[in-house]
Amino acid sequence: MTVHIEFTLNNQLRAVDVPARMSALELVRDVLNLTGTKEGCGVGECGACTIEVDGRAVNACLMFAAQLDGCRVLTIEGLTGHHTDNQEADDALHPIQEAFAEHNGVQCGFCTPGFVMSTHALLKENPAPSDHEMTKAVAGNICRCTGYGQIFSSVRAACTDREGRPESTSDRKGGCHG
Amino acid sequence: MAHDHSFIGKNIRRFDTPAKLTGDALFAADLRLDNPLCLKVLRSTHHHARIRDIDLSAALALDGVAGIFTAKDIPGKNLIGIINKDQPLLARDKVRSKADPVALVAARDEDCAQQALNAIRVAYEELPAVFDPEEALATDDPAVHDKGNLLCKRAVTKGDVDSAFRDCASIIEETYQTPAIEHNYLEPDAGAGIVDEEGCLVIYASTQNPHYDHKELTSLLDLADDRVRIIMAAVGGGFGSKLDLNVQGFIGLALYHLKQPVRYVYSREEAYLATGKRHPFKITVKTGTDSQGKLLAARIRAVCNTGAYGSYGMAVASRSTVTGMGPYQVNNVDIQCRAVYTNTTFCGAMRGFGAPQMALAHESQMDRHAQDLGMDPWEIRKINGFTPGAVTATGQTLGPSVGFPQCLDAVKPHYDDALSDWVKQPVPPFVKRGVGIGGMWYGIGNTGVQNPSTARVEMDTTGKITVFTGCADIGQGSTTVLAQIAAQVLGTDPADIQMVVGDTRYTTNAGATSASRQTYISGNAVREAAGKLAEVLFTEAVNKLKRGRTALKMSGGCVFDAADPDHRIGFGWLARRISDKGGSLSWQGYFDPDTIPLDPETGQGKPYATYAYACHLACVEVDTLTGQVAVKKVVAAHDVGRAVHPDNIVGQIRGGVAMGVGFALMEEFVPGATLSMKDYHVPTIADMPEVVPIIIESPEPTGPFGAKGVGEPALIPTAPAVVNALSMALGQRITRLPADLERVLAAGIASGHFNIAEESHV
Repeated sequence: MTVHIEFTLNNQLRAVDVPARMSALELVRDVLNLTGTKEGCGVGECGACTIEVDGRAVNACLMFAAQLDGCRVLTIEGLTGHHTDNQEADDALHPIQEAFAEHNGVQCGFCTPGFVMSTHALLKENPAPSDHEMTKAVAGNICRCTGYGQIFSSVRAACTDREGRPESTSDRKGGCHG
Repeated sequence: MAHDHSFIGKNIRRFDTPAKLTGDALFAADLRLDNPLCLKVLRSTHHHARIRDIDLSAALALDGVAGIFTAKDIPGKNLIGIINKDQPLLARDKVRSKADPVALVAARDEDCAQQALNAIRVAYEELPAVFDPEEALATDDPAVHDKGNLLCKRAVTKGDVDSAFRDCASIIEETYQTPAIEHNYLEPDAGAGIVDEEGCLVIYASTQNPHYDHKELTSLLDLADDRVRIIMAAVGGGFGSKLDLNVQGFIGLALYHLKQPVRYVYSREEAYLATGKRHPFKITVKTGTDSQGKLLAARIRAVCNTGAYGSYGMAVASRSTVTGMGPYQVNNVDIQCRAVYTNTTFCGAMRGFGAPQMALAHESQMDRHAQDLGMDPWEIRKINGFTPGAVTATGQTLGPSVGFPQCLDAVKPHYDDALSDWVKQPVPPFVKRGVGIGGMWYGIGNTGVQNPSTARVEMDTTGKITVFTGCADIGQGSTTVLAQIAAQVLGTDPADIQMVVGDTRYTTNAGATSASRQTYISGNAVREAAGKLAEVLFTEAVNKLKRGRTALKMSGGCVFDAADPDHRIGFGWLARRISDKGGSLSWQGYFDPDTIPLDPETGQGKPYATYAYACHLACVEVDTLTGQVAVKKVVAAHDVGRAVHPDNIVGQIRGGVAMGVGFALMEEFVPGATLSMKDYHVPTIADMPEVVPIIIESPEPTGPFGAKGVGEPALIPTAPAVVNALSMALGQRITRLPADLERVLAAGIASGHFNIAEESHV
């Protein structure tokens, strides 16, 4: 059985027929070829498949594709190139991604898109989150490499720099960032 | 140049970061091939059984099935394993665990492949199975392998242990146990492959060792070297498990027979079932000190369960004996470790190769001796800890890079504060606080065997530099670090260096990304190759600039006169001249650490050229009513030799602490019961303590710019520090990991923490 759905994906209208049992993750990765969203566990435990649906972070592996009908969906691919009309700026990293690069919040990178999307959804809901709210927002994302310290510094920088508040100093050491 | 470390010690942006942030980085499951077949493996339904017959007829008749292969379809040698080849890619006559692959299906899509698996009929004759390594040792009936159940025995002996024990004032004897651990890298194993226009099998793999994969594939398929090409995809973590051949062999076999694109992506469930685990250990230790706390003797008997196959079991056994007494001087030792086959999922390499398991034992013993003698746990480590020039249990005289005393000293102020203030602060009833420390040493590279790396550095005639390395960057950042090392030698911004990594058509063998060896060993290979290239550039520049070699320096893509920096010539000009004259712009580097094979009976020799050292402090809070443990703070001091990329080192340390907290408190892989990530809990951000990483630099003279390694050391001291802190909090020692709710609660009860009368005046 297939279901016809229409939704906005990374600011573009999409209409597709999907099998009723297909997950949102399979739709995004296997049908629409947006492979930035990862499958880490398939059971909603790791957060690697985090996407934004109507502004909220969800595990795409736990959602049916059919549930996306009428929704506004954002994946990691939609972060770059949608926040400005300036082409040069579009090629640059989104400020959240820039914060992760600056604070060394990436190791193997498999969990990274999920963390970035959780951070993005957090900021959409709460422009000035507390440290506790930041921790809570990414507590459903598992990282096995970093021990979360540099990820937290990245999230914090992404959340606080916008407000002009002082940048987190943890994990920063002297030296150039060439 | 030697003292000008302008690119060493800098937190340059990692090469791999932007693509991983945008989702552009291609992990093996992300590769889009032209209509690829889906591969799936039928695994054994028995722990131990003889295969009487495999009937593929019904499965082959299914629409959409392109091929089904069994052991008889493997053209070459159907045995894999990096140290001892005992593991068939597909089971031949028998299966030894429920992870054992029996048949490989290639089909149109996943549903079809699954139907085919369901339609295969295997007739088994069930055999008695053995799961407990001590039972398996006691008798070879059942025998997991024809040679018996003992994979290997390793020993280190020195001095006279029995007579030394007679002189001891404090003797402690205890048995410690650690469980099987799942690596739980975020990316389940995956691979894909095509046959290129020249007929070469091209396999994209999530791997820690592309050149080993290449060797295994040519052996399995009986193909010439140039008929197989392994390309490392982006790798989503490994921690040791992606050192084994996981999906690569299946992809190669399907490509060999079907000559069309294939892919194989493990579900998390299959990754749990089929890939190697950390060896569970049972360690019985007897140690003795004099009345001042100086260690005099140690006797250790360890048994580890390697499951159905050897994988890295021999390396785990070797390293656990060699580093078994930790970073402490003991002149009389008798240490044995036996690795044993059983009918469970095989165990292999995982971050530390037995050292984390042994560290639980030696660090617990240190605390117990301190307690026995009324000494401070920090002090007993200080008086026994290795210093430069010390002689190890294997008879090796340590060089100058022994930063263990500095690690202890760095932790001391935090330790003193925690003991004098934090642990004494008022806490709610039934909550207990404790402070513990753990030490470790870790040999860089493989144990007492050759483990060279090679690298090539090339310059084109425009002066552009490319480094070719087989070194797998699995997220730890080696690609960036190797670029920094080449950049330092050649005076070029690392961002201007092109890195070609992990493609067996273009790169040469760098060995495994394991044993914390790549910065030291591959770093040295890159340094040598870059140095050779620098020399020909200098030689050519001497001609052009009319200055002696010693007057010249390199920087910014030029060679210049140090006394007159404007007198310079660019790399491009020099490269063209060298090329015109027929000189080489392509140079190979090679480095093999200076080791001496260990004597098989006594373990005497030089297992490693150099060692990393560390000390962790853990502050824990325990709710004795629930058994819940919160690790509040970990201070982690690491001697890394020289920090090439400090942020990467901090990332390794923090990641190691997280894995160590998991090892201490929550992780246990139970074959047959741990099926998905719902059943296996690793620390989340909410479980993490405050971590204070401290980098100690005790330069290693043979290291690239003094560097050693940190990947595995980062994990090793955490669990012992947590367990020692728990011991202080509970007044009871936990000797079996994980220290989960039940064990902590039981220890609390044993300590009388439920005694309300006692609590009421706290």
